[in-house]
Formats: sequence, C-alpha cells, structure tokens
Amino acid sequence: MTNEPTATTAPPDRTRRSIFAVGCIAIGAATAGFLGATFRFLVPNVLYEPSRRFDIGSPQEFPPGSVTFLPDRRLYVFNGADGFYAISSVCTHLGCNVKRGGPGFACPCHGSQFDENGQVVHGPAPTSLAWYLLSLSPHTQLVVDLDQQVGPAFRLRT
Amino acid sequence: MRTRATTWLDGVRRSISRIGWPRTDKDRAAAMISSLFLHIHPARVSRHTLRPTYTFALGLIAGILFVVLSVTGLALMLYYVPYPAEAYRSMKDLQFVVTFGVVLRNIHRWSAHAMVLVVFLHMCRVFWTGSYKPPREFNWVVGVVLLLLTLGLSFTGYLLPWDQLAFWAITVGTNIAAYAPFVGDQVKFLLLGGHVIGPMTLLRFYVLHCVMLPLAMLMLISLHVWRVRKDGLSGAEVPAPAEEEVAGVFPASTKTYGLMALSRRPRASVESRDPNDEVFAWPHLLYRELLVALSVIVVLHVISLVFMAPLEEMADPTRTPNPAKAPWYFLGLQELVHYSARIGGVIVPTVLVVALLVLPYVDRGKAGSGRWFAPERRVANSVFTALTLIFVMLTVIGTLFRGPNWAWVWPWR
Repeated sequence: MTNEPTATTAPPDRTRRSIFAVGCIAIGAATAGFLGATFRFLVPNVLYEPSRRFDIGSPQEFPPGSVTFLPDRRLYVFNGADGFYAISSVCTHLGCNVKRGGPGFACPCHGSQFDENGQVVHGPAPTSLAWYLLSLSPHTQLVVDLDQQVGPAFRLRT
Repeated sequence: MRTRATTWLDGVRRSISRIGWPRTDKDRAAAMISSLFLHIHPARVSRHTLRPTYTFALGLIAGILFVVLSVTGLALMLYYVPYPAEAYRSMKDLQFVVTFGVVLRNIHRWSAHAMVLVVFLHMCRVFWTGSYKPPREFNWVVGVVLLLLTLGLSFTGYLLPWDQLAFWAITVGTNIAAYAPFVGDQVKFLLLGGHVIGPMTLLRFYVLHCVMLPLAMLMLISLHVWRVRKDGLSGAEVPAPAEEEVAGVFPASTKTYGLMALSRRPRASVESRDPNDEVFAWPHLLYRELLVALSVIVVLHVISLVFMAPLEEMADPTRTPNPAKAPWYFLGLQELVHYSARIGGVIVPTVLVVALLVLPYVDRGKAGSGRWFAPERRVANSVFTALTLIFVMLTVIGTLFRGPNWAWVWPWR
C-alpha cells in the first residue's frame, strides 16, 4: 500500500460512467423526495382548533340596527338596514383585537383606525378588516365561513 | 498488600486519566491536549488573549449562559407540560409548589435575556476590533447564525409559560413574520401548526425550544469555538509591548501540531508568533475562565433572588392587553412596524441579516484587525456604530416610551 496515485491507463469506462450518473440522479431524486416528505409531514392534515365555519345563532338573536361582538370568534356581527354582515375584529397589522370606537374601529396595540366598513382610516394597518361570508343554514342559523372573504358590499338578507 | 492495592488503584486512575492531576507545566500542557473537554483550548495562549479589555470575555460569557440555560432548562422540563392550560398550571406549580422551582425559572428567564444581550455585545466587540478579517470571515458568518439561533431560542421559549404576555408577544411576533413576501402566510401556518395559536403551536415551539434549536446551537457553538481555536484570537499577531516581555521565563514552544495535520495549518501559525509572548493555558486561561463562570453564576443567582420572572394571567385569545408588545429584543422592529409593516417586518430585518452575513466578504481591507477602533477602519466602524445606535434607540423607545395604543409615554410619569 502506498499513497502514490494509481496511473490511469485505460480510457474511461462508459458503462461505469453511466451507472455512476444514474446513481447520482437517483440519490438526488431520493433526497428531494425526502425533503418534500419532511415538509409535507410538517403540514398538519387535521387542525384541532375551532372550526373555520360555524353557526352563531338564529337571525332573531341579532335585533335590527344592532352590533354584536363575539369575543370567542373575534367577530363583529351587524344587522344593518339592508341585511346582515360580519367584520373580523382581528387587526390586519399584528393581530390584536380592534375595539368599536366612534363610528368605526380602533386597534389598542398600534393605533390603527378603521371606518365603520373596516376600511383603514389611519395608522400602520396595511389592509382593511376582513369581511366574512355569512349564510343561512337549512335550520335558519347564521353561518360564518372564515375561509371565504367578501367585499364591503356584502349583505345577507333573511 | 498495601502496595498492591495502591498499584491497582493507580491502574484504575490511569485507565481514566492518563496524566492524573498535572503538577508541572509540561503535564498541564499535555492534559490540555489529551482531554476531550479541555482540548478546546490550545496548550499555550498569547498574553494578548488574556487581556480582559480586549474581549471582555463576552464570547465566554455567552457560552457559560448557554450551559446555564441548558441545565436549568432540563430541570424545568421535569415539571413542564406543553399543553395550553396545563402549561400555565405548571408555571404556577414551579412558582408556588416546587422547592426552588421559582429560582430555577428566574435563572432560566434572566439568563435567556442576558444571552441575547451578551451575544449582541459580542458581535459589536468583534466588529469594533475588526476580528472578522481573514482568516476569520467564515467564523463571523457562523456567529451571525448563532445570533439568529439565540433569538429563535428566546422567541420560542417566550410562548411556553402560556400567559397573556407570552400569547400576545407571540401573536405580534408571528404576525410580523407573516409579512414576508410570498411565503409569509405559509411560514406562519407551519410555525403555528394551524391558523391560530393553540395546542399545536405550543407543542411545536416546545420541541423547537427544547430539542431542535439547542442541538443546532450546540453544533454551531462547537464549530465557532473550534475555529477560534484553530485561527487563534485576532490581534495575537500584534507583538506585546517590550515591558510585558518575559523572555526566558517560559521555554520555547514545544507544541506538536502534527495532530492537526488533517486540516490545513491556520495562517496565524504558531511558528510566526513569539514564544516569549505566550503563557500556558493552564493555569492562566483556565483559571480566568473558571473565575468568569463563577462570577456569572453568582450574578445570575443574585438577580434571580431579587427579581421575579414575569407571569401574568393565563393566555386569553379574546382579550388583547394594551399595549401588546413583542419580546424586548424585537421591539426595535415593532417600533418600525408601527410606521410601516412591510419596511419594519420584512425589508429592514432582511437587509440587516444579509448585510451581516456578507460583511466579511464585502469589506475586504486587511488593515486594522486586532485592535479596538483602529483608525484604518474609521468608515466601517462609523457606519456600524451609527446603525447599532439607531437600532438600540428604536428598541429603547419601543420598550420604555410606548404605552397604550402605542402612543408616546414618558417612562418616569
């Protein structure tokens, strides 16, 4: 045994080169698959958290012209002149709960202000408050879907 | 009989430690190299290394704090249950039921804060002494990653008490992360393990805090210290003043670096240094280190006996405290986020981290390394100091001068 490099005499073996290349590609693909699987593993399939779609009671529980705050759902429910609508109380800035103040909303954390439709009036919030789709269930319950946002023209007539 | 027993005992001792308690300089040098735990030191160090005003021992203190945090953290894990209401109850248990639980928790909490501060100061020291110059560029990069890991560890630990402070600080923190372009929302979803901070979030933060991040940290600290060991401390190449020379007191270097033949010899090689400028690491370095460790532990105990770690009421997702603040080391960012979420949450942190990472490869001048505030580095030092001052100022404003609604308040009113 010596440390002398062995002299290469024969020309490179094409078959060995190809097998080596295929092996490298296979290992690369396996690594990519492994990374993908790891990433997928980290994404939960079932969320053990409150449902994103839930009913909040029958329309009669919200008298005309009223504004109801549901703290657990972080949601304001309005029964306006032309129908029901729901506005999120989660500030779009950093996730604090906005409070009703004057005609609109104000965030206690960083001073963002929103008008009565949740549009930004002032402050660091980048976008207006979220409006969520309201619908009536077959049992005539009001249902909110947090995964479906709507525009401020939305009204639910019952 | 007596001699046979002694010989047998001696054999046992030798099987554990080849050298035994070393009584000569030569034995102590050999012990330094042959022990797994000591060989992180060289056998002899430059006198320059020992000057407390050069390093202020900041790297060492950061390492000691990491050990303190690991030990106290392991102890706390014995009582901690990572599930929302239980987590808060175990905090109360630690505070009122477990013997010395409150002290352990206080030490853990204050050490964590201290570590963020000390790692930051260490970075400033390394910059102001120009110590990231070749051959230490990559070690600076490792150090920046270690700073990020320190912040990550502190941030993930912040949620674990599951009180109002924890819940809303993490709400604000993860929402800052969500401002990252394209992937922000997905990163937040993965980090939280859902849409809202709940049991999944607590478990993820717990595993990150107790296993993944500490392991990553341990690996990188090893690499970081190993490279310091190989490259030597910056400025050791600078000859000591004449009055400090103690020619002839210590024998010429007999170090055999053949052991390290596996790696390329560092540029600051032993041979290029003046052997008269060196002293034995045991006792000169080792005892200083022990003294610093002892002081850190004493100070931590005093602080932890006097100041209680905060614990507010249990986390309530429906009630936002006013103001809701991120952990203090992110308050500079939150102050910026208050002006503009995109600038404070994305652009500034990204630019800062990238600038820190590429710094040693952009600032290629070789002059001025190994001394505090070298005049050759006036521009670099001025820019860095200005940026640091701005960041510290923003952090102080966010911490002390911001009250309800993030309005300006005077802390003494």
